Amino acid sequence: MTKQQANWSPYDNNGGTCVAIAGADYCVIAADTRMSTGYSILTRDYSKICKLADKCVMASSGFQADVKALQKVLSARHLIYQHQHNKQMSCPAMGQLLSNTLYYKRFFPYYSFNVLGGLDNEGKGCVYTYDAVGSYERVGYSSQGSGATLITPFLDNQLKSPSPLLLPAKDAVTPLSETEAIDLVKTCFASATERDIYTGDKLEIVVLNADGICREYMELRKD
Amino acid sequence: MFLTRGVNTFSPEGRLFQVEYAIEAKVGFDGDALKIKEGVVLAVKKRITSPLLEPSSVEKIMEIDEHVGCAMSGLIADARTLVEHARVETQNHRFSYGEPMTVESTTQALCDLALRFGEGDEESMSRPFGVSLLIAGHDENGPSLYYTDPSGTFWQCNGKAIGSGSEGADSSLQEQYNKDLTLQEAETIALSILKQVMEEKVTPNNVDIAKVAPTYHLYTPSEVEAVISSL
Repeated sequence: MTKQQANWSPYDNNGGTCVAIAGADYCVIAADTRMSTGYSILTRDYSKICKLADKCVMASSGFQADVKALQKVLSARHLIYQHQHNKQMSCPAMGQLLSNTLYYKRFFPYYSFNVLGGLDNEGKGCVYTYDAVGSYERVGYSSQGSGATLITPFLDNQLKSPSPLLLPAKDAVTPLSETEAIDLVKTCFASATERDIYTGDKLEIVVLNADGICREYMELRKD
Repeated sequence: MFLTRGVNTFSPEGRLFQVEYAIEAKVGFDGDALKIKEGVVLAVKKRITSPLLEPSSVEKIMEIDEHVGCAMSGLIADARTLVEHARVETQNHRFSYGEPMTVESTTQALCDLALRFGEGDEESMSRPFGVSLLIAGHDENGPSLYYTDPSGTFWQCNGKAIGSGSEGADSSLQEQYNKDLTLQEAETIALSILKQVMEEKVTPNNVDIAKVAPTYHLYTPSEVEAVISSL
C-alpha cells in the first residue's frame, strides 16, 4: 500500500517583484502590480505594498493570500502596540515583530517574501530583508520575488558600499540622493520586466522621508 | 461590614475593603526616590533586625531591566512576585520588538496584576498584593519615577517617600526638591530624609542606594559610604 499523497497544495505563487533602497534620510520601496497564477494573469492592478506604521512600509511577493493575512496580523499588532505604549512602532521594532510573526509559523510558513522599508529612530533610511520563516537582516538595499535574481546583481553593481558582500560591514545606507534612487528603481524594473514574465504592467513606488509618505506610478510592459 | 462577602465584592458604600486594608500594609518607613535631570535616585532603609543578619541578603531595591529599577515597601515577598512579572514582561517586549519597554508601560504591566485576586479560579490570588513600589527608569522620554499602590493605580512623581511615616518624609522632600538638582545633591537629600527617621546611625550596611542614570546601578558599600560622608 503506497502512502497517500496530497492532490492539492495549500500554496500558490502569484509572482511579482519587490525592491527597497535606503538612503541617508529617505527610503524607497517599490513593487510591480501584476498578480499571476501559473501562466495566466489574474489582474494587472494589485498592490503588494502595505503601510504598517507612520515610518514603516512593507512590500511582499509570493502567495498573496498569505501576504494579505500577514499584513492583517501586523496591522492588528501595531494597533495594540499603539494602545498599550501610546506611540507608533518604529521600523526596527516592526522588523523584529515581523521576524517573530514569520517564525511563529515555522512549520506551516507564510509563503511571503518580504522587504520592510522605513526610517529608523534617528530618521535614517532602513531596509530589512526576510526569508519566508523570519530570518532577517538590516541592509542598504534588497530585492525579493520572481525578478529578484535579475535585479539583485544589478543593484550590487550600482550600490557597492552598503553591500553585504563588502566586509567589514559599513553603515547600511546608500550614498544616493532620493531622485537618483527612484531613477535606479525604475531602471531595475524596466529591465526585469523584459525577461521575467511575472513582472510587468505597472510599477508602484512609495517614498518615505521626514516630510511623510508619497506614492508614484510608472507604466511597465504589459506582455 | 459583618456580612460575609467575597474579597473582591463591593461594600454598600462602594469600597473594596481588601484593597484598602492592603494599602495599610506598611511595615514602617522604608525609602524614597527623587527624579532629576540626570536620572533617578532611590534610597531605602534595610531594617537589619540582628547583627547576625547578612546585610547583603536584604534586597529592597531590585533591577527590572537595565534601564528600570524598583524600590519596595510592604510585604517584600509579594514585591518579589511583581518584580519577577515585570522582568518577564520587559524581556518579552525586547524579544518581540527589539527595543526596551518604556518605564510607563513597565509600570502598567506591574499594575495589571494588582486587581487579579478573588475566589474565581485557582489561577488568581486569594488576596491583593500588599506592596507599594517606586519604579525608577530612563527611556526615550528621559528619566521618570512612578509610585504604585495595591489598588493598581500609579502616579508619576518627581519625588516620593514610601512606607508608614512617609507623610512627614514627603513634606521634607517637597521642601528640598527642585528640578535642577545635581545627582550628588539628590543622593544627599534622599539619604538625609532616611536619616531623619532612622534612630540608628546610617551605615552602608543598613541602607541601600541605587540610581538609574541612564542605566540601573546599585551602589557598592564604598559608594554608599561616600554619600554618607557628604551628609
